[in-house]
Amino acid sequence: MEKIRIFRRKIINKFMLFISFLAALYGLFWLFWILGTLFVNGFKHINWELFVQDSGPPGLNIGGLRQAFVGHFIITVLGTIVGVPIGLFAGIYYAEYGRHSKFFWILRNVTDIMVSTPSIIMGAVMYALLVVPLNHFNALSGSMALAMLMVPVISVTTFEMLNLVPFTLREAAYALGAYKWQIIKDIVLRSAKVGILTGVILGVARISGETAPLLFTAFNNHYLSFDILKPMASLTVTIFDYAMSPYEYWHNQAWAASFCLAFFILVLSLLAKFLLHYGTLNVFKIIKKKK
Amino acid sequence: MQERNVEIEVRNLNFYYGKEKVLKNINLKVYRNKVTALIGPSGCGKTTFLRCFNRMHDLYVGNRYEGEIIFEGRNILDKNVDLIELRSKIGMVFQKPTPFPMSIFDNVAYGLRLKGVKGEELKEKVEEALKAAALWDEVKDRLKESAFSLSGGQQQRLCIARAIAVEPKVLLFDEPTSALDPISTAKIEDLIVQLKTKVTIVIVTHNMQQAARISDYTAFMYLGELIEVGPTEKIFTNPEKKLTEDYITGRFG
Repeated sequence: MEKIRIFRRKIINKFMLFISFLAALYGLFWLFWILGTLFVNGFKHINWELFVQDSGPPGLNIGGLRQAFVGHFIITVLGTIVGVPIGLFAGIYYAEYGRHSKFFWILRNVTDIMVSTPSIIMGAVMYALLVVPLNHFNALSGSMALAMLMVPVISVTTFEMLNLVPFTLREAAYALGAYKWQIIKDIVLRSAKVGILTGVILGVARISGETAPLLFTAFNNHYLSFDILKPMASLTVTIFDYAMSPYEYWHNQAWAASFCLAFFILVLSLLAKFLLHYGTLNVFKIIKKKK
Repeated sequence: MQERNVEIEVRNLNFYYGKEKVLKNINLKVYRNKVTALIGPSGCGKTTFLRCFNRMHDLYVGNRYEGEIIFEGRNILDKNVDLIELRSKIGMVFQKPTPFPMSIFDNVAYGLRLKGVKGEELKEKVEEALKAAALWDEVKDRLKESAFSLSGGQQQRLCIARAIAVEPKVLLFDEPTSALDPISTAKIEDLIVQLKTKVTIVIVTHNMQQAARISDYTAFMYLGELIEVGPTEKIFTNPEKKLTEDYITGRFG
C-alpha cells in the first residue's frame, strides 16, 4: 500500500517534470528559430556600406542605412534623456511621498496599466501634440512618444525597487536627524540603485525596438539628418518600409538592420541580467566575486 | 519642576494607533546617566513607548500622542518641536542591525556630516565613536570596506558607534541583541554599561536576565500600562505588585 503510494507520487513527479520540460522547449524553439532566421538572413548582408552610406535610389543595388542608424540613435537617446528623469522622479514620489495618499495610490495603478499601453497610442498622442501644430513630421515628436512609453516602465520599476528597501533603514537615518530628501538621496536610492539601473536599461531596450510610435511622428528620411524638427529615419521604420518594398537589395538591408537591432536589444537585456546578478558591471569586481 | 538628575520625565502619556489606545496613562522618570530597562510580555507596548521618545511614530499616518514627555525643560510632544534637532539629541539603535549601504567609515560619518563636521575633525570623531563602541580594533584597517562585510554583532556595534558619534544625550535601544549570538550579546551588554557614563540609556528587552544584568532601573509594562517601576534590584527581588512578581518568576509571558 505504502509502496504503491510512493510509486504514484514518483510517477506524477516525473510526468509533471516532463510537461514543464516540453513547455520550456516550445518557448525556446521559437526564440531560437527567430534569432536563427535573423542571423542567417541578416548577418551575411552586413557590410561596410550599410553603416557609412545613406539610402540609394530605389531599384539600384547601392546605398546603406547610415541615416537610419544615426537617426535611431538620436531619437532613442533623446527619448531616454527625457523619459528617465520623469520616470525616476515619479517612482520616487510614489514610493516615498505618495505612500499614504489615496490619490497617488490610484495614480500608481494607472501607471501600472500604462505599462502595457499599445505603443501606437503614444504615437497618436504625440501626432496631435507635436506634429499637427508644426505642420510636418519631426524627430522630436517621435522621441517624446518613446519617452512617454518609457516613463511608466521606469516609474513602476523604481517604485518596486524602492519598496524593497526595508523601512527600518529609513528609520535608522531618521533617528540620526536626517531630512527626508537626504535619506532618499543617501540611503534609499543608494540601496536600490542596481535595481533602478536595471529598470532603466530594460526601459531603453523596450523603446529601441518600437516602430508604431515612430510611424507618424518621426516618419522617415532617406538622407542623413540631424535636425530634430524635421523628419528623421529610424531603423525600425526603415526596416518596415524596406521590407514592404519590391526590391531585393532593400530586403537584404532590412534583414541586416533587423539583425543589428535584435543584437543590440539582446546585449542590453543581458547587461540588465548581469547587473541584477552581480550587482555591478565592473568586470574586475565580477571576476573577483567569481573567485 | 524637574529634578536635577532626571533626564526625561513622562507625564500621563497616552498613545493611539488610529483609534486604538495602546499606551495608557504612563508616568516615568528616566534618570541621567543610568540605564532604564523596559520589560514586559510581547505586545505590551514597550517598543511603542520607546519610539515616543524620538517621535518615530510621526513617520506614519494616524498616530496620536496625549500627555507630556519633558526633555530639556520642554514637552517634546509639542507640535512645533524640531524633530531633526530632537532626533540628533535622542539617538536610537534598532532590533536588527541597520548599516547603510556605504563604507564603514561613511556609516559612522553619516550623522556627523549631516551636522556639517568635515576634514580632520570628522576623522577624529569617527575614530572616537568606533573606539567608544569597542569596534575600532576590528575595523581600523578596513574602514573603506562595505559595512555589509561585517558580522551581525559588528554591524550592531557599528550602529551604536553611528548613534553615539553625533553625541546624543539619550540613547534608545530597541531589543538590540535579539538578533545576535551570546558572545556578541555579551559585548553589546558590556558596551551599554560603559556608555552610561556619557549618555542616558533606555533599553527595551525581552530578556529579563539582560535587564537584571545591565539596568539600574526597571519598568514593567503590561497591556499598555506601566505596572511598576523602581530600582532593578528591588523589582527583581522584592516587587510590590503581584503581576510583576508573576512575570519575573516566569509564571506568564
